[in-house]
Amino acid sequence: MGHAYQAVGWNRQKKIYDRTLLLGVVLYLAVFLGVGFALHPEATAETMILRALGTAAFMLLHVVLAIGPLSRLDSRFLPLLYNRRHMGVTMFLLAFGHGAFSLLQFHGFGDVGPLVSLLVSNPRFDSLAQFPFQLLGALALFLLFLMAATSHDFWLTNLTAPVWKALHMLVYLAYGLIVMHVVLGVLQAETSPLLAGLLVLGMIVVLGLHLAAGWRERALDEPLDQLAREGFVDVGAFEEIPEACARVVTLGGDRVAVFRYGDRVSALSNACQHQNGPLGEGRIIDGFVTCPWHGYQYKPDCGASPEPFTERVPTFETRIVDGRVWVSPVAQAPGTYVEPARHPGRAR
Amino acid sequence: MSAAREFYVGYLPQAPPALARTVRARVLLFLGLGLAGALLITAFQQPFSKAVFEFGKVRSFEGRIEVRPYPMLVVERPGAGDASRYLLVAFGKHGAEAEVGALAGRRVRLEGSLVYRDDQTMIELAEGSVEALDDSVRPEPSPSQAVDSRTFVGEIVDSKCFLGVMKPGNLKPHRACATRCISGGIPPILLVTDAEGLASYLLLTDAQGGPVGAEVVARGLVAEPVRITGAVHRLGDLRVLRADPSAWERIE
Ligand code: FES
Repeated sequence: MGHAYQAVGWNRQKKIYDRTLLLGVVLYLAVFLGVGFALHPEATAETMILRALGTAAFMLLHVVLAIGPLSRLDSRFLPLLYNRRHMGVTMFLLAFGHGAFSLLQFHGFGDVGPLVSLLVSNPRFDSLAQFPFQLLGALALFLLFLMAATSHDFWLTNLTAPVWKALHMLVYLAYGLIVMHVVLGVLQAETSPLLAGLLVLGMIVVLGLHLAAGWRERALDEPLDQLAREGFVDVGAFEEIPEACARVVTLGGDRVAVFRYGDRVSALSNACQHQNGPLGEGRIIDGFVTCPWHGYQYKPDCGASPEPFTERVPTFETRIVDGRVWVSPVAQAPGTYVEPARHPGRAR
Repeated sequence: MSAAREFYVGYLPQAPPALARTVRARVLLFLGLGLAGALLITAFQQPFSKAVFEFGKVRSFEGRIEVRPYPMLVVERPGAGDASRYLLVAFGKHGAEAEVGALAGRRVRLEGSLVYRDDQTMIELAEGSVEALDDSVRPEPSPSQAVDSRTFVGEIVDSKCFLGVMKPGNLKPHRACATRCISGGIPPILLVTDAEGLASYLLLTDAQGGPVGAEVVARGLVAEPVRITGAVHRLGDLRVLRADPSAWERIE
């Protein structure tokens, strides 16, 4: 028994999304063709339509590629990510229109079939500047087709997520192929610096957003990597430790009691100096870790009993990163003061 | 509640209001950028030529057929020069050889659509419209006169697209189409543009004045700079460049 793939309801959000998308595409084509014919009355309709479809698809591809990193940089872009597959499929349809019409226009009605013509009509594989740019576009279109055809969750489940994800990473290859298709194709004849400038601007935006999002994620990962390199161990979320109580963890064979009090965290050996009572099951009373067995007390930051007592337990370094508590497994000599880690969001 | 703290759940029918406002503003920004892009791209296209293809407009012509080097209709007219020469092509990327190849020297009436640019004019034949008017055959084709021998640097284009069927009908984006057209029998032209941007059109033939479409395609010399040295002949109002295709040079 497989499970049924219900069409996800076309709820209000999705309808707004799709309507806006469609409106955007129609407006784009209208402006391109309307202004284009007004400024260039001698232009042929075929050329105008080809260019309108091709640039619309390419423009939309930029949006598709930008939404991912934008959402990672600012969660308020997430609503645009939610239905991105409709944008991707729309982009494919525009690209398909451009490709199919080009195939008909440039390769149809000849002495060989259009697909054969596509392969043989520009034989300059030996030259970069003269390279058959139409094949690059055709390959990109094929990749976009694979992605559009497998965009449904049916394929996500049946191809398994890693395979699906890898398949859809091909969008970056397709983007590269399209850039080359444009550079080695239309820009060889359309020499306005503004057009080349727009292409470069688009590449800077796409690349820049990906680098910025990647850099930001690395910046978040960096302190954790650093802690891990120093041997610290993530012992759980700050919030999971009840106020004035401890969580007991085993680090390097030692049991360590990690106490939370106010915005602070301190870690002590779990073993009471009196009779090895479990300090971690005790509580902080009047500012002292208090053993549940017989009430011996220790300062949480240095593990020393208050005067005139002389008992001391080993202490451990602590850190709080992103709401999680990290503890070094290296025991400090009994009674060593260790600065308590503080949770920035919990300052009193 | 600020938009940053609200949590969007796509499958709920209503987005939180502050978030909805933010998203709306950003979508409008994207839309504005896209439309600005459309405006700039369409405005900054290279100018389109004034060439004309009277697509869908069919006229009737009378004249004499010549087939060498390429099919053409010779229409006699008064005044200097003996006649006007219209290159003949068929629908799509096909020459007119199949339609008029057997009618060399015959007077015909035919129908077709005009394609013209500068001083060059072409007729795209309406299929099956060619009818021979009588049985007389003019024995000698128009004599071609050698006027010059020179070296030209230019670009080989297919006459049909360049004279008006496609815009642009030259340069790299159009190469595959031009190759297909020439392969299909459309006469190849060497387009030579002078410093002022004025174009000269030289119908390309081999050294003996025969058609060279197959050689142009085989050598892959379409739509990029080439240097050709040959004898310029005048064929009525057309100029023909006779040159051995094996000596044409690609300029890298
Ligand atoms: S074992 Fe801790 S007080 Fe006795």
